[in-house]
Amino acid sequence: MTGKLFIQLLVNGISIGAVYALIAVGFALVFSVLKFSNFSFGGTISACAFIGFFFQKAFNQPPYWITVLVSSVAGVLIALTVDLLGFNRIRKKNSPKIYYFLSSVVFAIMIEQILTVFYGTQMYAFPSIFATTTLQIGGITFSKLDMTILAIAISLLVILIIIIDKTKLGLAIRAVAINSNTSRLMGINSSVIIVLTFAIAGFLGGITGVMLGQKYSVYASLGPSMMLKGFIASVIGGLGSLGGAIVAAILLGVVEIFATFVFGAEIVPIVLFGIMLIFLLVRPQGIAGRIAEEKA
Amino acid sequence: MKKVLALLLAVVMVIGVLAGCGGQANTGGQTGTDQPSQAPSQSQGTQKDLEPIKLGNIQDLTGSASEAGVANAWGVEYAVKMINSQGGINGRMIELYTEDCKNDATEALNAYRKLVDEIGIHALIGPPLSNSAATWKELVEEDQIPCVGHFMDESCTTDENGNVYKYMFLAEPGCIQQSYSIAKFALEKLGIKTAGVLYNTANAFAVAHAKPFMDYINAKGGKIVVEETFSWSDADYSAQAAKVAAANPDAVFLSDYAAQAKLCYQQLREAGYKGIILGANTLALPFPTLVDGEIYDLYFLQNVDMFSEGTDCYDLLQAFFKENPDSTYPKVNACFGYDAVMVMADAMRRAKDPTDGAEVQALLEQTKDVPTSSGPITIDPKTHRPVGMPMYIATYDENNNVKIVDKIFVSEDALK
Repeated sequence: MTGKLFIQLLVNGISIGAVYALIAVGFALVFSVLKFSNFSFGGTISACAFIGFFFQKAFNQPPYWITVLVSSVAGVLIALTVDLLGFNRIRKKNSPKIYYFLSSVVFAIMIEQILTVFYGTQMYAFPSIFATTTLQIGGITFSKLDMTILAIAISLLVILIIIIDKTKLGLAIRAVAINSNTSRLMGINSSVIIVLTFAIAGFLGGITGVMLGQKYSVYASLGPSMMLKGFIASVIGGLGSLGGAIVAAILLGVVEIFATFVFGAEIVPIVLFGIMLIFLLVRPQGIAGRIAEEKA
Repeated sequence: MKKVLALLLAVVMVIGVLAGCGGQANTGGQTGTDQPSQAPSQSQGTQKDLEPIKLGNIQDLTGSASEAGVANAWGVEYAVKMINSQGGINGRMIELYTEDCKNDATEALNAYRKLVDEIGIHALIGPPLSNSAATWKELVEEDQIPCVGHFMDESCTTDENGNVYKYMFLAEPGCIQQSYSIAKFALEKLGIKTAGVLYNTANAFAVAHAKPFMDYINAKGGKIVVEETFSWSDADYSAQAAKVAAANPDAVFLSDYAAQAKLCYQQLREAGYKGIILGANTLALPFPTLVDGEIYDLYFLQNVDMFSEGTDCYDLLQAFFKENPDSTYPKVNACFGYDAVMVMADAMRRAKDPTDGAEVQALLEQTKDVPTSSGPITIDPKTHRPVGMPMYIATYDENNNVKIVDKIFVSEDALK
């Protein structure tokens, strides 16, 4: 393997890892406060991709950032609706965690089916955002779209980490993540924080939907088809840990690309699931460790 | 007196039951329900002749393959309407019972059992996806239900020893013939010496295309220099694309459905590969609308020439557009559904009793030059697949319009 090829594969791995990171963070955010893996996030991503696509079409290709913004707002609304219909009552009745999981799976399937009923299984493509698709730097070819996705994903994740680590809202989310009842005693409105967490995850889902739609085309199973990798990343990162999920997702992307190149694609699932299994056996708290231990 | 009264009552009851049955058979209904969608429209002949032929139709009306499945179902319904409007099969109308298999093998089996056990169909039109049709390839023999469809994987019509599944019949060239066709075109018309393949090992359709392509290239003087694979769970093919680009073959054959083939194409070009890219009929429209970037040096398979006026398929697709005004591009599956019914109807017309599965099966084996929208179909009794059907090779011009560049025939026995 030449040095140039190594760098190209590394960048490709980080780029796909950044996409996984957005999905993993969506998982991790909700898991941190409610302790369940929200699989309806995949449906939210698909729905937002459709909304972004049809917004672009209806308004004759407005600036890209407006499409992303509209899709993100739609993501917030969808996430809040799912929370209201699917989780709010379970939360109020203090039902077992398995109910959250079942409800999230039901919503994931339902959103995908609704999209299929309305739009069929035809794929829709966002118009190109670049006149040429690649960029040459030092003899290495980079995909402009992948570089854009990477830049947006990293920026978003940095902003999110700042919000979580440096703001009162972030402090409240962390407090509710550790113990919602104690947080309530400390004057934090846990219910509002949970709703806000869903809103942030929905916002991320909106951006992820547009970016995945731009890269892969828009179709009903777009989000659900990406959920497995996001879930693996959130497990390796430590369920509920944002930083862990981001690091794990980037590593997952890089390992996947290099393993594919070296061993072939058929071996890659064995490698990835093997890594996940090792983490579950040896370090179930994941890369991040501390927060997940507190949850356990 | 009591005996006479009892006899009269018995006669009245028998007449009542017969009348009830007759009324049920004439009930109209909608596609996808237990009710037939094409009920007899007029009385003809004797009581026996009035009994309609119950034709089952299993298609992917919802799910990930519904884009093709709905068009397929339209073609079936269009053909049945046309046959009934022309007097049916030797005076007997066709009642069509359509079920949705949702691109799911379990659903396909459930649909089959429902049609056979509850409806009592006499024959079956199958879907274009082989995974679904494979679930009943042995059952149709037990139930004596002849089945015609576009399940192009050869394993739906013959087993690993080459023995036919007696009641399964294919109405288009199989995967082997199609792959040989594009390989032959690449070697002889494009002059390639080396080739690579990039395909989905988890998709039977993709594997059934990729393997024969490699066999033909290697057997006919070319050389496969790189073979890369992926599966459903892969979200990125840039590593595979980098390896293919590094090997730099004259042509690369992409084998998978459109969503994956689109990403393969893009990432091959992004990896710096500038050679020829070849593909199955999944690279037909709307493929270029999905690709981000320029399309060039791309050649793919087509079953019919959908764009030349005056052909049977062109006229059929105009009817499809008329009835489906929202459709933005021609769908060959409309032709597939139509053709399958035409092949089945031809055998039924030659049968003394078109509801006798064994007789229709035997006559399907003798199918010869049946006119369809894809040209005349002749079935090989040894394989239950068509013989002598050509494939078309198409490309996209600078405006991404489809341009047919060649018509090729290769026998699936070309390497034997």
